[in-house]
Amino acid sequence: MQEMERKLLELKDTSELMMDLAYSSLLYNNHDIAEEVIFLEGMMDELGNEIQKMVIDQSSQGGDVMKSLVVLRLQMAMEEIADAAASIADVVLRGVPQHPVVQMSLRDADVVISRAAVAEGSDLAGRTLGDVKLSSISGMFAIAIKRGKKYIFGPSRTTRVEAGDMIIARGPEDGEKYFAQLASGDERVPSE
Amino acid sequence: MMEGEVPEFLDLSVREILTEMKDISEVMVDLAYASLMFDSEDIAQKVSELEAEMDNLNYAIKIKTLMAARTREDAIQLSGMLQVAAAAESISNAAGDLVKLQSVDIERRPFLSFMLRESEEKIRMITVSEKSDMSNRTIGDLGVEAETGMRIIAIKRRQRWIYDPEPETKLKARDTLIVRGTKDGYERLAEFSSGRSHWPEHEEG
Repeated sequence: MQEMERKLLELKDTSELMMDLAYSSLLYNNHDIAEEVIFLEGMMDELGNEIQKMVIDQSSQGGDVMKSLVVLRLQMAMEEIADAAASIADVVLRGVPQHPVVQMSLRDADVVISRAAVAEGSDLAGRTLGDVKLSSISGMFAIAIKRGKKYIFGPSRTTRVEAGDMIIARGPEDGEKYFAQLASGDERVPSE
Repeated sequence: MMEGEVPEFLDLSVREILTEMKDISEVMVDLAYASLMFDSEDIAQKVSELEAEMDNLNYAIKIKTLMAARTREDAIQLSGMLQVAAAAESISNAAGDLVKLQSVDIERRPFLSFMLRESEEKIRMITVSEKSDMSNRTIGDLGVEAETGMRIIAIKRRQRWIYDPEPETKLKARDTLIVRGTKDGYERLAEFSSGRSHWPEHEEG
């Protein structure tokens, strides 16, 4: 895949993660998750600029104009989704208590998104997701891993978790606490 | 009341409207990408219909919130809800823009479906086998998303599409599902939909 395709995909993954996180932060009035959305928006802006520059470069060097147009429109649509997500996160971060008319309104699905930092002594550190069977034991599916300033989207069974990683996972509400304890090292991964 | 048509959805509560707007905006984005991946005009058409529905919902929620505001406190709180509603509508507009890319000649956008298939959070199709114990059970009863992390965006049943199915929707053998989630979640779902494994039963907590 070419550089531009890779960047576009990263933009798509980022915008979708932002939308997921934004609605989830609203549902559960979760400021941590809302802040993650705002952080991701900064990444979107940078990536968007890079893509626009690449497209203009390629076009001015005689590249396919129609393809450039498609890429720009994709980028703009993804940007719009990201901006909308940030706007939802902004409502959460402003801390306005929800009106009784709408309180709990979105709390229809029992699936939560949660983030947890992997501590040095955690059983998750230094092992792959498949090895610890995170989803089977906790019910939580890792949707992204934040490592330093980079994100790994849709990590797979072979993705190795490192101490210091932040795992963003989705799952039933009753899996959230156990997941947090696994990451902090307060709970151990059961041996087979 | 002014003469003319009564706006739609005014019989719903603010919370019902907002929930609807959230669900529709999410499913529209998924359907928009699916329409580009599978080059499906059916799906693109559905996205346009949902976009129109979203406009009506947004109109209705404005009317309902204005009617609900009695004090300054009310207004502050309800303005947050209107901001969320506006965001949901923006997302739906973005999805509408995405399906418009279909009008670009397919030979000029081959990289598009290729690229989307490489995406990490993938949209895939999966069929419910006759041997699967998922058939004749509802999505909510199975707890598909909680169990596998996969969200069912649409169901194709013979020639008919069911978009954004409800928890009460029953799955049938030979249904084709359009699902979104990670590779691991997909593989887990495939175990059950193929009938290779039984759907896990949990004791009531």
